[in-house]
Amino acid sequence: MTAPSPVVRPRRPGKLRYVALQLAVLAVIAVCLTSLDANWSRLLDAPAAAWTYGTLMVRGVLQNPFAEPHLDYWLTSFELMGQSIAMAWVGTVIAAILSFPLGFLAASNTAPRWIVLPVRQLLNAIRAIPDVILVIVVMVPVFGLGPMSGALALGVGSVGTLGKLASEAIEGIQPGPVEAVRASGARPVQVIRWGVIPQVLPEIVAFWLYRFEVNIRAGAILGVVGAGGIGAYIGRAFDSRDWDRIGIALLVIVVVTMLVDAISGLVRHRIIAGPVARAAQLERVVG
Amino acid sequence: MTAPVAVRPPKPRPALGMWSLLAASVVITIVAGSAIDFDLLPLFSDTTRGWFIVSQFFAPDWSYLGRTVAPLLDTLAIAVVATAFGCVLALGAAMLASRITTRNGAIYRTSKAVLSVLRSLPDVVWGMLFVAFVGVGALAGMLALVAFNVGIIAKLTAETIDAVDPGPLEAADAAGANSVQRARVAVVPQILPNFASYSLYVFELNVRASVVLGFVGAGGIGTQIAVELARFNYDNLSAIIVVLFVVVFAIDQISGVLRRRLAS
Amino acid sequence: MIRFTDVVVRYPNGTVGLDGIDLTIRDGEFVVVVGLSGAGKSTLVRTINGLVPVTSGELAVGESRVDGAGKRALRDLRARVGMIFQSFNLVTRTTVLKNVLVGRLHSTPTLLTLLGVARKADVEIAFQALERVGIVEKAYTRASQLSGGQQQRVAIARVLAQQPEVILADEPVASLDPPTANLVMRDLQRINRELGITTIVNLHFLDLARAYGQRIIGMRGGRIVFDGPPEEADDAVFAQIYGRSLTADDILPDTPVELGPTAT
Repeated sequence: MTAPSPVVRPRRPGKLRYVALQLAVLAVIAVCLTSLDANWSRLLDAPAAAWTYGTLMVRGVLQNPFAEPHLDYWLTSFELMGQSIAMAWVGTVIAAILSFPLGFLAASNTAPRWIVLPVRQLLNAIRAIPDVILVIVVMVPVFGLGPMSGALALGVGSVGTLGKLASEAIEGIQPGPVEAVRASGARPVQVIRWGVIPQVLPEIVAFWLYRFEVNIRAGAILGVVGAGGIGAYIGRAFDSRDWDRIGIALLVIVVVTMLVDAISGLVRHRIIAGPVARAAQLERVVG
Repeated sequence: MTAPVAVRPPKPRPALGMWSLLAASVVITIVAGSAIDFDLLPLFSDTTRGWFIVSQFFAPDWSYLGRTVAPLLDTLAIAVVATAFGCVLALGAAMLASRITTRNGAIYRTSKAVLSVLRSLPDVVWGMLFVAFVGVGALAGMLALVAFNVGIIAKLTAETIDAVDPGPLEAADAAGANSVQRARVAVVPQILPNFASYSLYVFELNVRASVVLGFVGAGGIGTQIAVELARFNYDNLSAIIVVLFVVVFAIDQISGVLRRRLAS
Repeated sequence: MIRFTDVVVRYPNGTVGLDGIDLTIRDGEFVVVVGLSGAGKSTLVRTINGLVPVTSGELAVGESRVDGAGKRALRDLRARVGMIFQSFNLVTRTTVLKNVLVGRLHSTPTLLTLLGVARKADVEIAFQALERVGIVEKAYTRASQLSGGQQQRVAIARVLAQQPEVILADEPVASLDPPTANLVMRDLQRINRELGITTIVNLHFLDLARAYGQRIIGMRGGRIVFDGPPEEADDAVFAQIYGRSLTADDILPDTPVELGPTAT
């Protein structure tokens, strides 16, 4: 076979659109930067300030934790952090219970279209309300200051996200097992119970745990506006520039959050791995 | 010879995992409920005063809307800048926190630990920290959000990097590329869609976070909310809330559309 | 010239990949390595560019020693040794041209790589490589849109862009259908003849080995059990290499046996 006749090299396709897009993005960022009335000179102070206060915080942490006043700082921090976690847990439980049926109502394969559309928009609307607004507007006036308001705000606020994630999981299932159950003559509720739920439950429970982790942080935030937990405590510490207290509270937040994250992550992976993990365990036992 | 009778296997013990989890959850819920003094009573009794306040939030002063524009734009600007800088820093951090792109075990473990710590602090705490470092205003808000973003984006991106197809990386190695070139040429193109999706997600978080950041003095619409709340100007406050709701809702929808486009 | 002197490769889990290999490959040879999976043929090929480290013995490519080479030395070596893979290992989300430019990374400053900029001279080399494998019209096409055979040719172009002294091919046609497999083998053969680049190919299809190999090396259990021209490699020899009589899996389905070195 002789060599093929020389092929003409293709022209480079227009990069203009791509470059224009990049420039547009940069321009938007530049405009935003300049429009802000930010005290840029303070930026140079930041590293030095961070170092100074950082060392103050570390010093505070290293003080004898068994002597007053630091004992009180440690105990209060842990107690309030525990309250934040309790708030987050109760809130997530509420959200899980409320969002579970809503998820089915928002999934196109388990509910008719005239239900799915409004429910979806309802979930989107709930998602658009920041938790803080819920706390200020509804919860505190009705339930007063304290963790109860926080828990309810987290609960109602999370319904939107959890409902949406649940509906996406439900829509993503394999139709095969569902058809099989339906073909055996089951009623719609039974079809959901035996065909849909076994497939989506691990994923949905994993979402619940993930949301729990998020809500722990959200709970601390709500505390700042008076809804219980460690938020108010650390806010007051910052107001009074008490770096010993700040250091201790921050450390407690970081350590407890990371601990809960780790446990939750472990449980999540076990759930998702589910049958595989259990089979491996069985093998080890049976030999 | 007759066929041997098949022995029925003994019923396996019920999966311990599922039921013990459920039991544990119920116990934790009860404990947690008492820890926060769970009490739905106020919902049904003495609602007049509470609901009165709530109803005041539903009578917005529409003439106030004009004064929300500037702080809202500030909030969006802070969110944009924080997302941009957060993304750039997070990309590098993610490379350090993934075994695929960082072969040095010590650097990898340290990066992961630092990112874990960054992620454990809520955005409002970062706000308080930076207000202490650089004073009140938009700068503190921006820096706080950058610190908050880097933790989130870097972790998500590092997980994506861990899952890339190793084939092109091997090819880059075999062609004599160094670690940086390998990351730029073989890893970045694979993670770009997911990375963009995370950036949009974080942008949404930033806009919401600005509400609380304002409370600690870090600028944006949150400051205005705090001010009006302190003055009990519920009609102004509800106007702000309506606008905020519309903006966040719109961003949610747009971001959802963009993320679906990216996934394809 | 590639020289193995009593090379042993032992994997961390204890298995022996190469069990004392003595081998010399002269410049410009077209060598085909055959053997069962796990016999060591992949290991043999991958030690040459250091993707698999040598446990003991000496391995030299030209003047450079591969055993015990540091990271810098390995990169320099890999710049001169190109490799193509069974799964092509292209970056599917980018264009063909960008994939071929990976072959130029070894001489490109890292900064330019980070910015995604390629020098004109490098682009010219890339185009010439694409022309040599006859796929230049697809230069700006996304790699994912090409067929398997086309992707492998892009991989060959990537290797050619390195302007290497040695080309390694690890099961380059295992994922391709028979006609395409023959085309790719023919391309490799043509490049070896026209450019005089030493080529070492790892195959498990025996008819391809006989048809295209200039020298056949049979491996079994980590050792070389046959080393000679294809004429001497009859079915009995192959049976000895594989430890069993040949089956239909060892040859390409419906291959015309007339194909030989004289066909172009």
